[in-house]
Amino acid sequence: MRRLVGVITAVGEEERNRPLDGLCAGMSLGEMLEECEDLDGFRRRSENLYERVRALFFLYSIHRFHLPRKAGADGRALIPFEGYEHLLKRRFPEAIDIFLRAQGAAGPNAAISSALAAAYSALGFQTLADQVRRSVRSVRGNQWMFRVGHPADYPLRIRKELLRRAAGEPLFPILHEATPVRMDLTHSGWSDIFFLGMDFPEGARVLNISIDLSVRGTGSPKPPVEAFFRVIDQPVLRLVSVDLNASVELTTIAEVFDFARDYLGLLKAAVIASGLIPPGIEGATQPLADVLANLVGMRGHGIEIVSKVNDIPKGSRLAVSTNLLACLIAVCMRATRQIEALTGGLEEGDRRLVAARAILGEWLGGSGGGWQDSGGVWPGMKLIRGVRAAEGDPEYGISKGCLLPRHTILGMEDVPEETRAKLQESLVLVHGGMAQDVGPILEMVTEKYLLRSEAEWRGRQEAIRILDEVLGHLKSGDVRGIGVCTQRNFEGPIQTIIPWAGNLYTDTLIRGARAEMGEDFWGFWMLGGMSGGGMGFLFDPRRKAEAQERLQGIMSRTKRRLEHAAPFAMEPVVYDFAINERGTRAELLEGEANLLPPGYYTLTLPALLRTEPRLLPAARRAELDRFSAACRKTPEFAGMVQQLFDHMLPRGREEEGAARSVESLLEEYGFDRVQHEQIRNDLRGGRIGLAQNRLPVSATITDVRPGDVTDATGGLEERYSELGREALAAGAAAVVSLAGGVGSRWTKGAGVVKALNPFCKLGGRHRSFIEVHLAKSLRVSRECGVAVPHVITTSYLTHGAIEAYLREEGNCGYPGPLFLSPGRSIGLRLAPMERDLRFAWEEMPQQMLDERAQKVREGLRATLIAWAKQMGEGSDYTDNLPVQCLHPVGHWYEVPNLLRNGVLLRLFEERPGLRYLLVHNIDTAGTDLDAALLGLHIESGAAMTMEVIPRHIEDRGGGLARMNGRVRLIEGLALPGEEMESRLSYYNTATAWIDIDKLLAAFGLRRDELGDEQKVTEAVRKMAARMPAYITLKDVKKRWGKGQEDVFPVAQFEKLWGDMTALPDLDCRFVAAPRVRGQQLKEPAQLDGWLRDGSAAYVESLCRWG
Amino acid sequence: MTVKKAVITAAGKDQRALPLQTLIDQDGEEKPVLQMLVEQALSAKVEEVCVVTWPGDEGRYLQAAGKWAGRVRFLAQPRPLGYGHAVYCAREFTGGEAFLHMVGDHLYVSQQGQGCARQVAELAVAEQCAVSAVQPTRETLLQQYGAVGGRLAGRRDVYRVETVLEKPTPTEAEQKLIVPGLRAGHYLCFFGMHVLTPAVMEILGQRLGAAPDGPVTLSSALAELARREQYLALEASGRRYDIGTRYGLLTAQLAVGLSGQDRAEVLARVVEVLADRELGR
Repeated sequence: MRRLVGVITAVGEEERNRPLDGLCAGMSLGEMLEECEDLDGFRRRSENLYERVRALFFLYSIHRFHLPRKAGADGRALIPFEGYEHLLKRRFPEAIDIFLRAQGAAGPNAAISSALAAAYSALGFQTLADQVRRSVRSVRGNQWMFRVGHPADYPLRIRKELLRRAAGEPLFPILHEATPVRMDLTHSGWSDIFFLGMDFPEGARVLNISIDLSVRGTGSPKPPVEAFFRVIDQPVLRLVSVDLNASVELTTIAEVFDFARDYLGLLKAAVIASGLIPPGIEGATQPLADVLANLVGMRGHGIEIVSKVNDIPKGSRLAVSTNLLACLIAVCMRATRQIEALTGGLEEGDRRLVAARAILGEWLGGSGGGWQDSGGVWPGMKLIRGVRAAEGDPEYGISKGCLLPRHTILGMEDVPEETRAKLQESLVLVHGGMAQDVGPILEMVTEKYLLRSEAEWRGRQEAIRILDEVLGHLKSGDVRGIGVCTQRNFEGPIQTIIPWAGNLYTDTLIRGARAEMGEDFWGFWMLGGMSGGGMGFLFDPRRKAEAQERLQGIMSRTKRRLEHAAPFAMEPVVYDFAINERGTRAELLEGEANLLPPGYYTLTLPALLRTEPRLLPAARRAELDRFSAACRKTPEFAGMVQQLFDHMLPRGREEEGAARSVESLLEEYGFDRVQHEQIRNDLRGGRIGLAQNRLPVSATITDVRPGDVTDATGGLEERYSELGREALAAGAAAVVSLAGGVGSRWTKGAGVVKALNPFCKLGGRHRSFIEVHLAKSLRVSRECGVAVPHVITTSYLTHGAIEAYLREEGNCGYPGPLFLSPGRSIGLRLAPMERDLRFAWEEMPQQMLDERAQKVREGLRATLIAWAKQMGEGSDYTDNLPVQCLHPVGHWYEVPNLLRNGVLLRLFEERPGLRYLLVHNIDTAGTDLDAALLGLHIESGAAMTMEVIPRHIEDRGGGLARMNGRVRLIEGLALPGEEMESRLSYYNTATAWIDIDKLLAAFGLRRDELGDEQKVTEAVRKMAARMPAYITLKDVKKRWGKGQEDVFPVAQFEKLWGDMTALPDLDCRFVAAPRVRGQQLKEPAQLDGWLRDGSAAYVESLCRWG
Repeated sequence: MTVKKAVITAAGKDQRALPLQTLIDQDGEEKPVLQMLVEQALSAKVEEVCVVTWPGDEGRYLQAAGKWAGRVRFLAQPRPLGYGHAVYCAREFTGGEAFLHMVGDHLYVSQQGQGCARQVAELAVAEQCAVSAVQPTRETLLQQYGAVGGRLAGRRDVYRVETVLEKPTPTEAEQKLIVPGLRAGHYLCFFGMHVLTPAVMEILGQRLGAAPDGPVTLSSALAELARREQYLALEASGRRYDIGTRYGLLTAQLAVGLSGQDRAEVLARVVEVLADRELGR
């Protein structure tokens, strides 16, 4: 047994917690490979789940961070497509075997290591997720639900109290459940992640408080989530979400399991997890009415379940959705006597069962939270701790800890009443408004925990100590001390473990609070997975009202400043809150009180009013009578008539306004209507589309040969650097950063200007991509003694925001010539064609998701296809904010725009000796005016030199190839087959060195003709006609309600710069650059690896901050 | 401890008519269900039987008791206060002794020579404690029965009862009634046949005193009994048939017929019905 396996199996804590990075530091390549072989053998034979998983993460980390850096790991190999396919289909063990064989054949190398890292990491997470699922299923009280497969076996019955009606009363009583949400006081380093609790139960502790909530100024706080349950006289399962304005009547079992079909997925998950329609029955073809007849005990009857969230927006970090799920589950379990108490609070055993069912519900819905999330079911303040598995527990012998933690409710002796009051008076709870994806963060935490990375492990120990300190302060009543702790927690352990938990927005708010409230600001309190959404600020209670007011101002101002740079889902809000000392509670609504909430009637009445009264069932008629009486008598129902009118009358004016706005934007940005109509007709007619993007299969596409690419991955000869430095000193080069796009993948279509996103802390503070690129130009300027001209290209989406940002930030301290090159082209997005959606989802390689998530995705895709048909395939997409309906038409246009908008002319005026341009994407953070590469380009005499990098597993989207004898870049969209990409050694970085005069010549222009607008326009049009237009699908977000977002795939067209390499009259060369230089940051989830593998440090070394 | 008396409850509003139904027994003799139940009790060496009825039903029951009328007493449950109360009505009859208790809407078919009641009574006498006959039952039927949780007690068909729940949901059953050695999703449900000790009457009395308007279940009293004294469950070698369910009477008749002397005839009739149905299309 070698060293690393010894660490995993060590009995002693010290040895077992040894950080992997330290262990790898002194190893030679040979030793490392031997360790890998040993670990791989160990993970195959070990029967202990966590040993297996830890070995997998060790292997991932070695291949991702250590092995590629070792001298000698420089073999070249192509990543076998067969392995890649296995990876996509989630056949991870098979993928690993293939990659290991490839490594054996080609020797250790970075490309295969990237593939192995991806496969080991995915297998590790899959193993953990499978175990959690198995544990959820094996919780006693949950198992039976997976055994019921036929309506005849259905074992639940509605309890009698819900079927009892007074004489002459057609309505069944309503069971109403109200549940607080939970607030996490100590954070504790995400220790409520199931994997952590199950492997490190001693370290898994949180202090969790149940709270009532209201948006400030909208009334006193009350339990934010509510559920209603009743029997109805129709054989359907009616689900209604008052806050999401959605309702559905289900008549088949299949519909219950289709989560993505509508907005009622959470209600469906609750129906299933509560056992009302048990998970085992999925796939049964019998009518739902059969199950309902068994459940109610009478044919012709069904169930109605209504959910309501009281104005709390999404992303509040208060686990609203988990507590709503728990609330719905509790009401269903009470109704079916799975919980003995029909009304009032719950016993501890019932609470635990509801929590276990909520975990099951989250798994069914393809989402996931932590084990503290259903804390609202419990009352007041409680310490939640991981529990060691003992004999008799389903987890015993598999994991150290149990799936479910233990909740200890803190009594008045632990936290005196006055401390609770003081905490309430001190804390200002807010929703900062940011839209966030916490998923990647939870994976990062798990990975770092399993690797015991040194700093992070120390951070975790510190977080554990902070919890004890907070408990002490609660006992002694020192709320100020709590503020100090939570602030220290945020600045220390939390951001040590996950740097991305903080961001520029939060930092600005904390600075603002400190500046405005001075010593009376006691500390920042991070809630949940990351900051920016729900957050807490502690102030001196005497100034709470003022602090609420001021914080609202600080948030609104900061949001306005950053809204183009970071994704915001809504306006920031301040809450009022109160500690809920009762936990979830239920009551039976009978007689006069037998009514659903007012919002329910706003939603359902319009349809009922359109039905003739005689056709309505008796119960509905009685309910209408009771509702109309309530409108006259009950204050809660006052104003309902007006609300109903508002709901029923079409909001025509607003829509007209939006349409006009799209029109005016199109007008303003020079929309080419003739071209648009041509594209739309071609798309509808099937002449263009995703399938038509592809080159003919007859094209001979092979990998490049030695000599086709200059290898600069290990550096270039000094003479090139000298040549480059001379050119730089002569002012012959300028940089063009392409910043017209909004980075669809960066914020999943949120329409944020990616160039301005403060993506990472570099040089001590958060920096945007623009700031980083300007800092590199500043360094080059200082080194060569001449200020480098820097051009930032923009589009209609980004111009105003970038211009304002640079003005506000004083060009980020960049003293050189800085130009904005506004885009001159714009497109109007189109509703996608069904065939293109199917092609993208069914024909192109797709990463399959985990079983449940994949099922949800498939349901969603069917819904999106129906949406596209309903919108009209290929019709103009105008059903969104105007700017979300338009699109930039691809980066091919960005260089010609320099010609058309006069920026190149101005550059020549500024620098008559200018000859070369470095053109790069905004997210290629490591690119700079490297003297050696410039020298290489100059000496080659080529019109253009494109930079490529050796392909890793994540590099998808085409590459460098020989096509019909010519070396050129081919876009992924154009490759005739998926496997072809895996045969191409190099990936396109989209960084180009351009000889301006030679490029102009290709356009049929000379530099002295740039002033002739007509000639330039004509030249650009002619060249554009030679470039292929690709149809692509882009995700676009549509925001609605309170922080809700839908993502739609829309069609647009693009022309791409890489296709210039196909022009026979343009002399193009290719150079392989180091990966740290050429890699692009496409998704925030890449950032952690980018920081840890030395890429961030490399970029930092290139920068001089202005 | 001896078991000389038996109590049959038949006072439920919906089960009043069931013991009066006439079936053909294993010997091919036509007789009311009540008579078959009394014979089951007498086979366990019981000397005297008490039937708790709905007020006014005594006459019809007496007639149904046929040749055993002399060994049967009838007691009316004055008010419908639940199953526990019905048993409690017979407290004076049992007079502080252990007694066999059977429900009036079940029929029992033994799989060995010895009747089910006798198996239960013999175990109770041997172990000097209360015994309930139980049968492993699928979780989907839990809503019809009381169920027990416990551990094996030295024999492969005897359990020491630790928990008793009346008509539990599968959720509850999975948490509280798991019995080692049983198939997944199966629980030990009451057979409708018990030998009860005087302590049960005492517990019922206390509970009825605390809740005079009922309903008090026998299961809740048995749960208390399990906490107080040794209480065993016997996986009886036989089957119970609930004649109160849909097609329950038909199923019970088939089961009795197929295990008796007319087995061939019954089987032939069943096959004939099936064949007629299939070939007559």
